[in-house]
Amino acid sequence: MSVALLAERLRDGELSPREAVQSYLDRIERIDGEVNAYITVRAEEALAQAEALEQVRERGPLWGVPLAVKDVIDVAGAHTTAASRILADNIAAHDAEVVERLQRAGAVVLGKLNTHEFAYGAMTTSSHFGPAHNPWSLDRICGGSSGGSGAAVAADLAAGTLGTDTAGSIRIPSCFCGVTGLRPSTGLVSNRGVVPVSWTLDTVGPIARSAEDCALLLDVIAGSRTELVGGVEGLRVGVVDALLGRADPRVAATVQAAIDELAALGAIVEPTQVPLLDEAGTINQLVMLPEAANAHLPWLRERLADYGPDVRGRLLAGLLLPPTAYVTGQRARRWFDDGVGRLFERVDVLVAPAMPVTAPRIGEDTVDVRGQTIPYRLALIPFNSPWSLAGLPVLSLPCGFVDGLPVGLALVGRRLEERTVLRAAHAFQQATDWHDRRPPLEPAVALAPSTG
Amino acid sequence: MAVESSFAEPSIEFLRTLAAQQSVHPEDTDLEVVLGFLSAILPALAEIERQLPPEIPPAGLP
Repeated sequence: MSVALLAERLRDGELSPREAVQSYLDRIERIDGEVNAYITVRAEEALAQAEALEQVRERGPLWGVPLAVKDVIDVAGAHTTAASRILADNIAAHDAEVVERLQRAGAVVLGKLNTHEFAYGAMTTSSHFGPAHNPWSLDRICGGSSGGSGAAVAADLAAGTLGTDTAGSIRIPSCFCGVTGLRPSTGLVSNRGVVPVSWTLDTVGPIARSAEDCALLLDVIAGSRTELVGGVEGLRVGVVDALLGRADPRVAATVQAAIDELAALGAIVEPTQVPLLDEAGTINQLVMLPEAANAHLPWLRERLADYGPDVRGRLLAGLLLPPTAYVTGQRARRWFDDGVGRLFERVDVLVAPAMPVTAPRIGEDTVDVRGQTIPYRLALIPFNSPWSLAGLPVLSLPCGFVDGLPVGLALVGRRLEERTVLRAAHAFQQATDWHDRRPPLEPAVALAPSTG
Repeated sequence: MAVESSFAEPSIEFLRTLAAQQSVHPEDTDLEVVLGFLSAILPALAEIERQLPPEIPPAGLP
């Protein structure tokens, strides 16, 4: 059930917070053994919080709505493991600021969600707690690093979730799991109480069923007020043809159909070239790798063997890059920003495939695109890193299927213009039903009080 | 004026020394992974340095 609808029915008294929470806990109990979206379920705490909410007279916009957060985001008294062996016993002393804000708005945090180890990878298979499985096909990855956050929404194991995104970690799982996820502009949402990957790239953001739900969650965690009315009439949409041309042809055709739908709704669509698109992935690495190595330096010294091999390799690469690489990266970032800024004088939104392929099978680390077999990690970089590097808001929304697996459309906006991408996504979702499709699991959480 | 630059591919021994200077002690198998990574990114870094206009300051500065 959507956050918006559930919040409305709770406000109307059609079900109580405790009933809502219990319904989700029952479903987690039945289904999450297959999906492995959760690392920690806070059943007792969530039920107690729900009961306490029923005594509260002031009711926030998320009163009684059961949500969950990625396990790099602190919830006081709960483990924050970052899906790692290193933090397996770490218990948070305080709530992250975003959790404080959710709870102040009346939300109930059901638990902590699976992630790629330390949010530093795009598969959610390296978790110390086992891989997350894609609800659309359990033998496939959810993407990452916020894989549990995407899977939990797709499998209806929470009404909405929070993830984090450094170089695609909200958008990739949103795309692969057929849900809607927003990477907000860097700096818009507080990172206090969040395990860092890269201080100048990290951002917390919502993953939910729809743009409307993402807007509700964003407004709570960012203190913003997003109006979704207005549609896309006259919106100048730049199509990043270079990325369409690099995607699997069936993915590209699906995304093109979504772009045609935006045009039919009144958007002014034109092809666009993004300056330095090919270089942006390298520039992003020059910034992210040293920042991540710096954030992890004490553990690299003391707990090196406790990292999974892929994360250990990336962290060591950041440690051992030439000393001037980081400064070159930050200068080249400015260079890229300047070009993107000029581009956004001509367009309001950029569109591209969120990912070039559908979700690979667990264990596969290469993908086949247009007759070439390339490492999965390298295939995704051009579709994700450029927008992170420039700190832009990016939303991935479901726009079709290939072989029964979701395809995502990415909408990229000007910095701090989340409302533009949310408004465009909302208009698209008002006209289509891709976001309402559900994976082949048992029926979603019912509105009726839980009967077990 | 663009600056010509290139990076020589480091040896495992060099990487081990550089890591040890920072009190980090990886296995050789880890350093081989790093070497593979650097062999891909160093030419790309050199190309960016070659193209980057010299007057551009780091991001975040006015």
